[in-house]
Amino acid sequence: MSRPAFSFTILGLRPTLLFRFYGWRLRRHTAQELLAGGGIAVGVALVFGVLVANGSLVGSAGKLLHGLVGSARLQLVARSSAGFDAQLERTVSGLPGVGVAAGLLREDAILVGPRGRKSIQLIGMDPNILKLGVLSSQESNPEASLLARGLVLPAGVASTIGVRRGDALTVLAAGRAHPAPVSAVISGGPAGAATYGTVALAVLPLAQELTGESERVTEVLVRPLPGADRLVAAELERLAGGRLDVEPADNELRLLNTASKPTDQSTTLFAAIGAMVGFLLAVNAMLLTVPERRRFIADLRMQGFDSRQTRLILGFQALLLGIGASLAGIVLGEVLARTLFHQVPVYIAVAFPVSAKQIVHVETVLVALGVGVLATIIAALPPLLDLRAKRPTDAVFQEARGDFGHDRPMVLWLGIAGLGVIAAVTVLALAAPQLTVLGGMALALAAVALIPAIFVGVVGVLERACQGIGGSMLVIAVNELRSTATRSIALAGVAALAVYGSVAIGGARLDLIRGLDNAFAQYLGTADIWVTSGGNNLTTNAFRADGVAAALLRAPGVASVRTYQGAFLDVGEHRMWIIARSPEDTSMIPASQLLHGDLGRASALLRGGGWAAVSEGFATEHGLRVGSLFTLPTPSGPVRFGVAAITTNLGWPSGSIILSSSDYSRAWQTTDPSALEVDLRPGVRPAQGRREVLRALGGDTLGVQTLAERERQYDRNARDGLQNLGAIATLLLIAAALSVASALGAAIWQRRARLASLRIQGFDHRQLWRALLLESLILLSIGGIDGVVLGVYGHALASRWLQLTTGFPAPFSLAGAEILRTFLLVAVMALAVIAIPGLRAARVPASVGLQE
Amino acid sequence: MSGTLSLELRELVRHYTSDAEVVRAVDGVSLTVAPGELVALYGPSGSGKTTLLLLAAGLLAPDRGSVWFGESEITSLSAFESARFRRREVGFVFQSFHLMAGATALDNAALKLLGDGWTLRDARRVTRPWLERVGLLERADHTPDRLSMGERQRVAIARALAGEPRLLLTDEPTGSLDSKRGREILTLLRDLCRERGIPGLLVTHDPQARAFADRVHTLRDGHLSEGLDAELAMSIA
Repeated sequence: MSRPAFSFTILGLRPTLLFRFYGWRLRRHTAQELLAGGGIAVGVALVFGVLVANGSLVGSAGKLLHGLVGSARLQLVARSSAGFDAQLERTVSGLPGVGVAAGLLREDAILVGPRGRKSIQLIGMDPNILKLGVLSSQESNPEASLLARGLVLPAGVASTIGVRRGDALTVLAAGRAHPAPVSAVISGGPAGAATYGTVALAVLPLAQELTGESERVTEVLVRPLPGADRLVAAELERLAGGRLDVEPADNELRLLNTASKPTDQSTTLFAAIGAMVGFLLAVNAMLLTVPERRRFIADLRMQGFDSRQTRLILGFQALLLGIGASLAGIVLGEVLARTLFHQVPVYIAVAFPVSAKQIVHVETVLVALGVGVLATIIAALPPLLDLRAKRPTDAVFQEARGDFGHDRPMVLWLGIAGLGVIAAVTVLALAAPQLTVLGGMALALAAVALIPAIFVGVVGVLERACQGIGGSMLVIAVNELRSTATRSIALAGVAALAVYGSVAIGGARLDLIRGLDNAFAQYLGTADIWVTSGGNNLTTNAFRADGVAAALLRAPGVASVRTYQGAFLDVGEHRMWIIARSPEDTSMIPASQLLHGDLGRASALLRGGGWAAVSEGFATEHGLRVGSLFTLPTPSGPVRFGVAAITTNLGWPSGSIILSSSDYSRAWQTTDPSALEVDLRPGVRPAQGRREVLRALGGDTLGVQTLAERERQYDRNARDGLQNLGAIATLLLIAAALSVASALGAAIWQRRARLASLRIQGFDHRQLWRALLLESLILLSIGGIDGVVLGVYGHALASRWLQLTTGFPAPFSLAGAEILRTFLLVAVMALAVIAIPGLRAARVPASVGLQE
Repeated sequence: MSGTLSLELRELVRHYTSDAEVVRAVDGVSLTVAPGELVALYGPSGSGKTTLLLLAAGLLAPDRGSVWFGESEITSLSAFESARFRRREVGFVFQSFHLMAGATALDNAALKLLGDGWTLRDARRVTRPWLERVGLLERADHTPDRLSMGERQRVAIARALAGEPRLLLTDEPTGSLDSKRGREILTLLRDLCRERGIPGLLVTHDPQARAFADRVHTLRDGHLSEGLDAELAMSIA
């Protein structure tokens, strides 16, 4: 026969044939491909969604910040919201080497409009700012807007409070209310950086008037002349005199990076475990297809396709599946990033004017695509073992000789490998806690590796049990398990992964929530009523309180009023949460958050002054122990404190420092409170006390909350900060349960011929259906128990890692009820989903058994 | 392309170990199949017939001995050369068909040609007459799940013949066919061997195959003997 003339081929195969082979495969094995692709897509979606969400926070904040600072390269920054004399801007302008200097006033405020209120950062800008190119590309002519005395609002903010250009709104700042007109609403356009932020822009004098900070600014942006950066920085340092900071103009990004890092790390840990579980789900789904793909290899080899051609055909199929599944995963991840993961956590928003604009980098897409394709190709490898040089007939005959589940040495080795991985993970977690993220992923592998040994053991026990139990159900179920051991092990593996991922992630998340709830309950529990500047914050916004305390004390239900002071303080790369408590507070340090030191002694030291409780991350970074001395860069200059105790980060990722309000007043040179703690007389109910406090204040410029209300707000914020983790845990549970159900359903459906042969033997469909459900239950139990045991270990490791690496309070506690709920949810969902295909499969006509 | 090469099996030995027991599947078998000759090989189940076919096709390596096709020693070929030998020289009909589930009867029959760089259109064109010769042209667009066992077997036969092989190896090619259809296929195989001058080795249990073969051998416990041994002669009579 004449061979074809020259044509373009790869290893002797025409490229179109590669597609044709996959088309043939899809036609016959659509469900299996969807199952495998679904597992890959879930993993890719989690990775992509988290990468985009994490990258977007800092990325969009970067755009916003660069939009605000323009071409400035340095800044002179105040260490408190009280700022410094605006005259300093003129001094800076006159320094040698300075090209442009522009003053800024930043103050947290609340905008009140007809539709609601919104916490924002009010930014007053010196007209010089235009020389830095700030907002020059605004489509709505910002120069004109800024010059017109009014506020420039991002469209999102304007929409939230229901105002448009020309409308009036109320600005609540520093405990005062001022009316102000809206001079422009910016939306769209490249500037848009600001469009998405929670900021309001104004000319400096207006901002000063609204905040009561006349003739003051909080920073001066500086653009040095070319080559004069060092000179200008040195001059600024001299001018700062140890009371102000000299930083790069985009320093806030570094601070935000540090603040968002622990949350990003937590999310990444969860996403990594989720992705590993997703990948292994896909591997297991592919394992279900191993017998069929080995037959395919055998067919090809017997027809004379050589091993390279076979690898090419299978590799190409894996590539197509990987690309398709990864693209689906990227689309799903994009949806996740836009919906579940897109919000800026409130706790970050209170400290940084960040935006929620989603930014997708090409690199992120490529990484997700690469990971997905690689995972698919790895998952598709096992059948290619049949192409080993000295095993030419495995593909043809090994299937007939035995099943993987009966390969005792392989089962034993896998079991030993699984135990080895657990031991290695333990050593790794003890020696290098920061690598626990790898441990969490390795445990997922161990969960799968142990399944064959557990399966063989359980089936052996059930075989013996069959001899003493009447009825056919268990006998059929056990026989079916034995005769489809590879498939059964893969299914139990899917169940194990489902439970493992859900238990590990869900448990760690619960630990975090419990830890944060405890921290906030004890932090807030020092007062019955909290009076603050309002809005959603960490009690860091100071307000004028002249005569307020006295007025409150005159209210009939009020027993006492104490001053609470707090602020953010930038120390190195950390925006620290400063908590300054009245020495009269019942508790200075939340007891549950104490890591090192004696609570009673530390509290006494704090009350006496000169001592502070610092969070562990800060202590570690500065080499501090209880009793050590350290220096804080306060607004009055460097101040020395002793370390009275070391705590968790109290839920603020960058870390916290607790000191007494008397120390704070001295160092920050202010007596303005950021909250007033009100104790009620015995018998006065919180709601009644709240009404009396409001009446005594005579207006709503300040926020008044009962202890319960404030706890709820903090708890909401904590959960909001962990919403990505919650979303991942929920998604994983749903994906896992559906994977188990669909894998079981598909496996049952593929076995109709075997079921038909049982019907020929006289079994009715009810017997077969019950046997199928029992078989599924046995598999779910094998996988579930394995998943629970390793999931609890994974949970403990994840919680330990969260505490050690992120500083969050997340003490491990066994969540028995949650574990049971997870297991039952997976089992019930899976059994409910497979009940229908199971019944239909059990009703298969007996004649099908004769056809095959 | 006509072939004038013979198949020669020289002192072939292939043993398996199963549960510490040595199974002598093929134990010193020598056999020559001349060009144009069709040799039927009978034997009870487990006698080593299929193993012998796999050795002849280069799908299995012998423990000892060699396989020659003309001047080429098949047992010394590399995996790549062995695959090309099967693809270009051998028409192999398997007992269990090995059809691709999602492909039509015509595409299944054309499969071998595709491995040699043919376009699907050309491969289909060349294959279609062979499908017609096995009486399946009207079922050309059906996938295997819509074909009966006999029809699947005929697709496998068309696939083996479509590449115009120079060696025919068949494992129970009439096992799933009725008597009439079986005779037709045996006639086709015999005629093909004679017309094209190619050697054919036919492993079978089919009593009527004797009438179509030029020679008959029996394989029992790995040993080959000429003609039907007494036990087999009684069982297939």
